[in-house]
Amino acid sequence: MKVSISKFLLQTILLSGLFISCNNSGEDEIVIGTSLLSMQNEFVVSVSDEMEKKAKESGVRLIMVDAERSALKQVEQIESFIAQGVDAIILNPCEYEASSPAVKKALAAQIPIINVNSETSEKPTAFIGSDDVESGRIAMRYIAEKTGGKGKVIMIHGYMGQAAQIQRAEGAKEILGSTPGLELIAEQSGQWDRAKSMSLMENWIQSYGSQISAVFAQNDEMAMGAMKALTEAGLKDKVIVVGIDAIPDALQAVKKGTLDATVFQNAREQGGQAVATALSIIQGKPYEEKVMIPFELVTAGNVENYLK
Amino acid sequence: MKITAIKTERYGIFIAFIVICIVLAIASPKFLTLPNIRIILTQVSINALLAFGVTFVIITGGIDLSLGSVLAVAGVIAALFASPDAYPVIVPIFMGLAAGAACGLFNGVIITKSKVPPFIVTLGTMTIARGIALIISKGRPVSNLSDSFNFIGGGQLAGIPFPIIILVIAFVICSLILNKTVWGRYMYAIGGNELAAKASGINVDKIKMLVYVLSGILTATGGILLTSRITTGQPNSGLGFELDAIAAAIIGGTSTAGGKGTMTGTLLGALIIGVISNGLDLLNVSSYYQQLAMGVIIIAAVVLDSNNNKK
Repeated sequence: MKVSISKFLLQTILLSGLFISCNNSGEDEIVIGTSLLSMQNEFVVSVSDEMEKKAKESGVRLIMVDAERSALKQVEQIESFIAQGVDAIILNPCEYEASSPAVKKALAAQIPIINVNSETSEKPTAFIGSDDVESGRIAMRYIAEKTGGKGKVIMIHGYMGQAAQIQRAEGAKEILGSTPGLELIAEQSGQWDRAKSMSLMENWIQSYGSQISAVFAQNDEMAMGAMKALTEAGLKDKVIVVGIDAIPDALQAVKKGTLDATVFQNAREQGGQAVATALSIIQGKPYEEKVMIPFELVTAGNVENYLK
Repeated sequence: MKITAIKTERYGIFIAFIVICIVLAIASPKFLTLPNIRIILTQVSINALLAFGVTFVIITGGIDLSLGSVLAVAGVIAALFASPDAYPVIVPIFMGLAAGAACGLFNGVIITKSKVPPFIVTLGTMTIARGIALIISKGRPVSNLSDSFNFIGGGQLAGIPFPIIILVIAFVICSLILNKTVWGRYMYAIGGNELAAKASGINVDKIKMLVYVLSGILTATGGILLTSRITTGQPNSGLGFELDAIAAAIIGGTSTAGGKGTMTGTLLGALIIGVISNGLDLLNVSSYYQQLAMGVIIIAAVVLDSNNNKK
């Protein structure tokens, strides 16, 4: 209740801001509306930074709003973009199903809509992102390789029900299924959060202790938390920890050898390609309907290429 | 006389705590081991610090919804001053605490000067503080902190994790403020009947400002602990922490109507939340069922307590 009041107020302010800025815009300027999952998420911030850069280069005006993880709010933001008559919309969906009406509405209003990073059940004009199932496969395959295909594995999930959580779990479980020696002994949601995941791991260490051979966390924040708990318990040398996203902190940890591996998802490439694709569509140039940017495994061997 | 009264009042919640512990100890042989108890107390420390702060506030009849965001601001600010070789460790600690105190003072001043209900004012501060945390960190975690700073949340003294030591010190200080000082008496008086308190010459505004500042400082302490524990200042940390802290205070018998509550009760409330979360993780209960179980146990604990009070 409290949260919804504050969000409503914020949203009203944001939306009124949108309308004001819209009135000031010139007639022939290209305007792209962007609704992002959450500006409190480091990965999304990286995507948006690159979008802004690319938009500036191309002389496009980008209206960027934060859906704060609410699909309902996201749909409303898209409605307001439609009302403003933007030239294209870039959507970074909050949820697979619940954000779909946003895509449907944009298409009905004949405004091209480009999904970036995650998918919706409704098919947009174009999709730029990476196959999250593959990232789960890459991470678990690394664990299978390092453990010689034998051992007890723990999986720390993101927020249950989010596309990234579902798909990363799916990819990981696929590999677990084909590697009979690997046993999943515990899985739980760490809510993408470092502190939460650290507490989880501390508690699991009490239950399973030295039985654990590897931990797969569905993002780096949680991998860092698990790693911290294992280090404090003196178990880090015996347990393989793998995350996804390749955030700067995780890359430093891979370099130091405290984190075994992470999977790089190219935020900048996704942001840049999204704006480029939107431009191509607006200008009637040919474009790809589905641009898949591959994931890359980062280990101590190649981490230098990813550190800025 | 007063002490025995408090004891009977807390009897129900204490029994609830013991029952939960016995059930978990039977379910998991790992539950009642020394390393696990150490972990529970460490995990409880942050929520308990916030809960102590909000207990002061609730006793005076107020509420503080800005805790989670203030925790993030204090954590990020401390982290910004905690890079290796930048300043001695006292500087980030002081800056974090100052940030918390400033947020508390802001709450207190607006609440007492404008007469707007604390619910609304701290709701506003919740959003403002979150915004500040995101602005000063540019939306990214602040990492690479000094070893001495990371000791606060990760270090040990004589085998006791440092957060537990801070928890004990904070508990003693807060209990003393509440029970042994005039300020404490005034807090109960204001929560019991604000008009009567004012009529009897108590500087109500001053005490109210004090409780929000205390809440801010305790929350900042929690923020510094969290930042140090996960070795990074996260602008999005502490989301929803205010609810856990308020839950701990209420489970512990603090009345939302004001005028009633103890630090011992709040500590027990925080411990109940902590042992349930730890115990269910040990048993590898799915997070869906954990949420359900947590809600049921919280309500059961409070019902048990209120029935006990009626007798």
